[in-house]
Amino acid sequence: MNIGFIGLGAMGRPMARHLQAAGHALHVWARRPASVEDLPAVVWATPAEVGAACEVVFTMVTSSADVEAVALGEHGLIEGMAAGSLLIDCSTIAPEAARRIAGRLGERGIDMLDAPVSGGPQGAIDATLAIMVGGAAAALERARPLLEKLGQRIVHVGPNGAGQVAKACNQIIMVAAIEAAAEALHLSSAAGVDGGKVRQALAGGSAASRVLEVMGKRMVERDFAAGIEARLHHKDLGLVLAAARQSGVPMPLTASVAQQLNALMALGLGKNDTAALWCVLEAK
Amino acid sequence: MKIGFIGLGIMGRPMAQNLLRGGHQVTVWARRAESMQPLLAAGAVGAASAAEAARGAELVISMVADAPDVAEVMRAVASAASPGLVAVDMSTIAPAAARRIGEELAAAGVDFLDAPVSGGEVGAIAGSLSIMAGGSAAAFARALPALQCLGRNIIHVGGSGAGQVTKAANQIVTGMGVLAVAEAMAFASKNGVDRARVREALLGGFASSKILENHGQRMIERNFKPGFKSWMHEKDLDIVMQTAHELGLCLPGAAATAQMFNAMVGSGLGEEDSIAVLKLLEGLSGQ
Repeated sequence: MNIGFIGLGAMGRPMARHLQAAGHALHVWARRPASVEDLPAVVWATPAEVGAACEVVFTMVTSSADVEAVALGEHGLIEGMAAGSLLIDCSTIAPEAARRIAGRLGERGIDMLDAPVSGGPQGAIDATLAIMVGGAAAALERARPLLEKLGQRIVHVGPNGAGQVAKACNQIIMVAAIEAAAEALHLSSAAGVDGGKVRQALAGGSAASRVLEVMGKRMVERDFAAGIEARLHHKDLGLVLAAARQSGVPMPLTASVAQQLNALMALGLGKNDTAALWCVLEAK
Repeated sequence: MKIGFIGLGIMGRPMAQNLLRGGHQVTVWARRAESMQPLLAAGAVGAASAAEAARGAELVISMVADAPDVAEVMRAVASAASPGLVAVDMSTIAPAAARRIGEELAAAGVDFLDAPVSGGEVGAIAGSLSIMAGGSAAAFARALPALQCLGRNIIHVGGSGAGQVTKAANQIVTGMGVLAVAEAMAFASKNGVDRARVREALLGGFASSKILENHGQRMIERNFKPGFKSWMHEKDLDIVMQTAHELGLCLPGAAATAQMFNAMVGSGLGEEDSIAVLKLLEGLSGQ
């Protein structure tokens, strides 16, 4: 199959390679063409050209505005994709933006799935991502063989936007857990107790979690290289709180964690792993 | 002075009236024609559009709801501006939005001031608003005679956007202040102590504030009529939190407060005064 991929960063690149390894022809566009020079793929001059050449296009970019520009902007996918083709957006964006973009594409008969992922760059490399999908069931069935090359747990959450709602829920729980791990290990080190031992002890009990395992390890080893860059979690919690505001749903904990992330950004740690929330606690 | 006035809501209407009373020639425009009636009766000229309100004016003042409204109105004003026009937006919008609008108007040859106010409907009627202005000193000097009809404490804070930064800072203090007083009230009564006596005692010490005095009194009377509607306070706190997010600024207190206001709007208390946060606290504490 001819597959387009736009957004070949830390996540997108390994994902595109998995699709290619499965025997599909890869078509790409990048804002900086130099960044895709080394990829064995057809490089096009605009997203529209990628869209015209492919039956399925993946996007994996940063913000709602980025997806809108690539999909609906000048020379965007909408100008090239044929009726009956499929856009799979794996970016993390606002649910309401996903719905809007799907609506516009739908007017041209183009299907769209919002299919954000969890698992980070390592999950992308290992093809073990969790993929949460919003959109029509028929579109997902067409996409499933491709998504199975990228992840193991593929859940159809609901109609367009539902995948992004699930991703927002994922970020609420995950980032709060990172802050909790940082506070716990910060307390143990302030009390003169070995954080590594605490982490090990906790791993057997009710506080055990993937975050404590992965991010906790980074904290204990003071290795704050990303991982998932904290600036992305900062962006995501901004989306979550905006959605909470629209729904009139109070989120006291998330709001508080978001402030710790603001402090992290102010300390210039945005390109570090979110485990660097520990550094914010130390900075005081 | 020939003044165009755009936006005749709860705040704008008495403000325009005070300009008329101050002897200025005022041309008004509002989206809903019926809200212009009381001003026309008081001697204002009615315009058919924002651009028409600006035509021939030396000063234009806008008092509308949100940044997109301000941008739209100011674009129309710029299209009809006479040379040397000063445009003053007194709405509460994000500092970044105010700066953007200021740049756009400067390119069209119009001087822009962001001059949001504090003091609510009561202050607007009495002409006793606090006005915090951002923009050039020259534009401020030209606008000052008109502003003096609207308020008493009129401060030129700094360059473009500085007025809105000040207003955002004001909302941080008032938002947290209302919540703090409400928590103190809930604390007193849950402990079986009379709220009014507590307020009276506190007014003599370091916890004394205008908010304890005014909002505290209304909490004791359970008078939840606005005042300042809580959905508007929530909107202003959202401007604060958005700005903090963009700048990398840690505001834990404001963030917690914004969530309480978020809950208020979500619970259907948006049309009540900000002090309705007391009801929320009482509900959470089984009072």
